[in-house]
Amino acid sequence: MPIDKHRFSRRGVLAGGAAAGAFFIAAPSIIRAQTRVLKAAVLLPQSGYLAQAGQSCHRGAMVSASALAELGHTVELMHLDIESNPDVARTQAERVINDGAHCIVGAFDSASTLAIAQVCEQRQIPLIVNIGAAPQLTEQGYKFLVRNFPTGGMLVANGLKQIHALIDATKIAPKTAVFLHANDNFGMAQRQGMDKAFPNSGLPFKLLESIPYDPKAQDLSVEVTKIRGLNPDLLLVVTRAADAIKLVRDIVRQKFQPMGIISPGAPGLYDEEFYKALGPLADYHIDAIPWANPKSKVTQTLEAVFKKEQPNFRFAVECFNVGFTFDALLVAADAFKRAGTGTGPELMKALKATNLADHAMIGPPIKFDEKGQNVDIPSSCVQNRAQTPTVVLPADIATMTPVLPEPPWQGRT
Amino acid sequence: MSGLWFNASWRGKALCLLLLLVFALAPVIADRYLLSVLILVFYFSYLGHAWNLLMGFAGQLSLGHALYLGLGAYTAAALWTLFGIGPWLGVFVAIPVATAAGLFIGWLGWRFAIEGVYFALLTIAFAEFTRIGFDHLQITGAAGGLFLPVNGQAANEWWNLGGGPLLYYYLSLTLAAAGTLLVARLRQSPLGYRWLAVREDPQAAQAVGINVFRARMMAMLVSAGMTAVGGVFYGFYYRNLFPSQVFDIGHSIELILAPIIGGLGTVFGPIVGAIILTPLGEGLTGLMQSLGLNAPGAKAIFYGVTLMTIISLQPNGVWPWLARHLRLDRPPE
Repeated sequence: MPIDKHRFSRRGVLAGGAAAGAFFIAAPSIIRAQTRVLKAAVLLPQSGYLAQAGQSCHRGAMVSASALAELGHTVELMHLDIESNPDVARTQAERVINDGAHCIVGAFDSASTLAIAQVCEQRQIPLIVNIGAAPQLTEQGYKFLVRNFPTGGMLVANGLKQIHALIDATKIAPKTAVFLHANDNFGMAQRQGMDKAFPNSGLPFKLLESIPYDPKAQDLSVEVTKIRGLNPDLLLVVTRAADAIKLVRDIVRQKFQPMGIISPGAPGLYDEEFYKALGPLADYHIDAIPWANPKSKVTQTLEAVFKKEQPNFRFAVECFNVGFTFDALLVAADAFKRAGTGTGPELMKALKATNLADHAMIGPPIKFDEKGQNVDIPSSCVQNRAQTPTVVLPADIATMTPVLPEPPWQGRT
Repeated sequence: MSGLWFNASWRGKALCLLLLLVFALAPVIADRYLLSVLILVFYFSYLGHAWNLLMGFAGQLSLGHALYLGLGAYTAAALWTLFGIGPWLGVFVAIPVATAAGLFIGWLGWRFAIEGVYFALLTIAFAEFTRIGFDHLQITGAAGGLFLPVNGQAANEWWNLGGGPLLYYYLSLTLAAAGTLLVARLRQSPLGYRWLAVREDPQAAQAVGINVFRARMMAMLVSAGMTAVGGVFYGFYYRNLFPSQVFDIGHSIELILAPIIGGLGTVFGPIVGAIILTPLGEGLTGLMQSLGLNAPGAKAIFYGVTLMTIISLQPNGVWPWLARHLRLDRPPE
């Protein structure tokens, strides 16, 4: 069949090709700008050494779509596993942005979050950090990053305030304490925060010693023997799930009975594994950390959806990871609604202007400073009661009153 | 090198040039995601070359190569953040630091006849206690991490390894290509033949006058030095370093997968292994995503199954089989 030269001129083909090329290059950003539904990618370490916490956050992300829908936000979520590996985190960030994500939420681990942050910065796509305590996340000058999670220093400072309130509420009079912490990224950040905050905290006890330990150690008997020798009234701990179990077992084995085991802001003492492994010995330890507000309507909505969609897991145990992941998505949905567009710079501008009063975690309205950090995330005191983490302070959101000194190990059944 | 080139069949030469051309022009059509995957392919190819020199050529199993990677990364990053010495100069400090560590481990192992699996344990031990040491080294941020600037002028200067994915793409491609050339050159050199002799039978090699200790130390020297250069790339690409990530034994295992799958003791094995593993892993992620499946850890299982399948079907790796089937070796005259 002869080709009609008038229909296919060289210039026409070139112009058409250029137009098609321009369309394909610009298509993702055009689609981003025109969309009416927020497309958020949730990158979490669902496998690898952070899998336990990552999967807990993932459950939060899974229930968030329904919970947000009940609150009037329509979101489309993309869930990706970053395998606790910054290499994977970086490539998956590139992937989801290519697939049209308006923003990324993640990524629990600071190293992976920093890898994602670089991609987001270059591609001008907002990153909302759900959990990640390294101060550098908001100190390195990223313009497309906000964090609704306290830094290690903030966690400790707020935790110490809660310990002060706890001492006042229970009328105990501890004279001494020892600070035992894991020597990983998180634990060392907490140590730095403690070194800085404790001297000015006004707490009525003396910090005898700070003892680091390797969370990969097979047991903590050496550390516990050392603590037993110092015989402090309070044991302040920064642990992870597995080593918290080892710690309490060694403490009980060595018959050491402090007034209380209190974490100034760390996981471990409220994980399901901790309760399952220790039973009644898991009770009465206290974690001074940000927590879901049991009296907030948003939390109640989230809890109802969680119970329905994740019946095999307890919201009371998971609400730290679930709540912060949900709040990060809520912040993104709220900013998207106000921006009216999914383009990165506009969405980021709306994120920076966030003033969100109703959210799942305790605290005042969510706002971000010029660095993208929410500087006002208070802690609460959560005490294990009947193997369930229960808010005991502040009094206005507490569902039980705190018990200290802890009952002796021997009497627990 | 010239020997290797002239010994290759015309198919081999054509494939080599074609691949180089395709990779050099890839940024014209590839999007940023694909580039990030290719960067990992080249990065793992290069590190695979470095490890393959010691294991594949000299026959010494190291399971702690993350040590040299971490030392290279930390040295260059610390020189820049603390003293303003850029990575192009920093790499010349990073290499001696890593090779000194490697030579000490090598001396300790081979001088006192710690060989085989015991030598592998020694390498793991050094990587682990270096990790613990860096966890407490305040000058490099201890366990809290060492951070390179990500914004501002200094972060965007190419001569300080700052910039977008194109810079890192071509840098990683150059590293992989240069690593291949270096390994090919060494493979054809008298030193390369000494390594092979030592690998096959140390006693026989000793009997014919080869200094086994020296040959192994040379392999360690080159391997650790090359890995340190990879570490400098790693540090400036990610711009943050945590001892628990960089020195982790998982990192050491990750970098030996490509040469094992591609073919131990071959020049192109690490490249083939990296080309198989990284894109296939990404392809699997994409497939799961498009099917709406969320199966955390599926990639790790896939890696394990792939490794077992290849080891059982092709114990010498994919490259020797591929070269034979594509008739890439020059037929005997």
